[in-house]
Amino acid sequence: MERQFYIDLANKGLRMPIGTDLVLHEKPDAAAIILDGERLGGIIEEAAVRYRTPLAVGLMDLMLEKSAMLEMLGITAGDIPTYHFHEWPGDHLFKKVSGPGAGPFNRQLQAHIDAVAFVSRRASGLIPIGMTIGPFSLMTKLLADPITPVFMAGAGTTAEEDPEVALVEKTLELSTLIILRSVTEQIKAGAKIILIAEPAANRVYFSPKQLEEGADVYERCVMRPNRRIRELLEKRGVDLFFHCCGDLTDSMVRDFASLEPVILSLGSSRKLWEDASLVSPRIVLYGNLPTKKFYSDADAPLEAVKRSTWEIIGKMHAAGHPHILGSECDVLSVPGAESTIREKVDMFMNCTCPTF
Amino acid sequence: MEADLQRLAQAVIDGKRKDAAELTTKLLDAGCNPKDVLEKGLIAGMGVVGARFKAGEFFVPEVLVAARSMKAAMGILKPKLAGADIQPPGTIVLGTVRGDLHDIGKNLVAMMAEGAGFKVVDLGVDVTPEKFIEAAKEHNANLVGLSALLTTTMINIPDVIKAFEKDGQREKVKIIVGGAPLTQEWADKIGADGYAPDAASAVDVCKSLV
Repeated sequence: MERQFYIDLANKGLRMPIGTDLVLHEKPDAAAIILDGERLGGIIEEAAVRYRTPLAVGLMDLMLEKSAMLEMLGITAGDIPTYHFHEWPGDHLFKKVSGPGAGPFNRQLQAHIDAVAFVSRRASGLIPIGMTIGPFSLMTKLLADPITPVFMAGAGTTAEEDPEVALVEKTLELSTLIILRSVTEQIKAGAKIILIAEPAANRVYFSPKQLEEGADVYERCVMRPNRRIRELLEKRGVDLFFHCCGDLTDSMVRDFASLEPVILSLGSSRKLWEDASLVSPRIVLYGNLPTKKFYSDADAPLEAVKRSTWEIIGKMHAAGHPHILGSECDVLSVPGAESTIREKVDMFMNCTCPTF
Repeated sequence: MEADLQRLAQAVIDGKRKDAAELTTKLLDAGCNPKDVLEKGLIAGMGVVGARFKAGEFFVPEVLVAARSMKAAMGILKPKLAGADIQPPGTIVLGTVRGDLHDIGKNLVAMMAEGAGFKVVDLGVDVTPEKFIEAAKEHNANLVGLSALLTTTMINIPDVIKAFEKDGQREKVKIIVGGAPLTQEWADKIGADGYAPDAASAVDVCKSLV
């Protein structure tokens, strides 16, 4: 797609949540739907139609690639959520997850891909958006303590000197390979945009102090693997929608912008109108209402949602940067708070703003 | 000896694991009281780390490498502490509640609490109410720390509190809660004894409750 397409959407005042999870959990058999590509595709379509957007965003399930990969490696399903590598099993793993002899995807990742294909096939005017976790974030899910060795790597410790640093490097490569494979399949299924969710690329996993002192570990661990995905998208003519809802430094925001996504989505800890100066006006900023707090009427009363909507729209207008108003992440359905969350999403979708 | 204790504290602050271990050995070999090594060296160092973290001068990675240095030193010190009659200020059973696999915040609290001298029983992630109760009984804990990162899992925190009530254990423990989506107001509403917005504050809350 032409970059201008997204800028035009922003200029037309598009508002939308990443709302697939909300719609999914309205169904009594959500757990079955996520294993059925056609039905999941239907949910994605329903969410796009309900929220009046041409962007059909897939379900943001950040366990998909981890589960699929570990199943290929023979880890039993029950152990997968808490499974970590404590030492590197060997480079043969690379071939097991990627390349000609690699195992098939599990049912859930296949359904995720089939859902993209469903939306693509329907030719309903919706743009199918694939979704993947970012390589760094996936790596953090595969190690018990990824933070310390990443810090050590930033302090100059090499893989040869320390097995934990080596484990980070190998696991990051493994993560990148499975993601490249997942993204490739989603593109084959018809994805026109890939959303990379890289929430761990933040100030918790990286010390701003160390980065300010000149460490290149953010470049090595976050940016390089994401550039490899970016290159794949470029080759295949697919756009990048980059998302990180973590707590970020300005430098991290600039780094994300250097990937030249068509849309950059940031968490509510950022002031988008200030970030506008860090990001090219060719990149649409997306977000960033504090939707993680929408479950609470004390922390996010309806009136405050309206005020925040006005504030973001007004200040982004003043900043002159293309912007799509939306959520700070996918809006999760919280049991017991479904109606208040929906009400607040409806508020930011529909409330009228003062004219600027 | 005082100078070496200060160096030990500094090694912890700087996250220099090897130096912390060597200085601990040196101090013990020189006849330094293990209690002093613990309190004036390791706990003092972690105290500074906690204060800097709270002040925004240190970040999570600095805290983790400092805690790792303390742990290396503790490996050497622990056998010597056995006969030293040192009572921890409290015992805290800690975990991320059922359905939640996030552990960074909980790990930080564990490290900070250990750094402040507490005995910490870390139950890990995805912990059921029954496991919390069982561990609290087994370790005679006076504190229970419950963590959740997601709005979809924080709703499991009240279940743990209710389970302690049902089991007749609620009066025996103080329950503190924390995690990104939580607020003081919500903690009050569900009947928690304490709420901490970050790991360093969690240790202060623990201290205030024992």
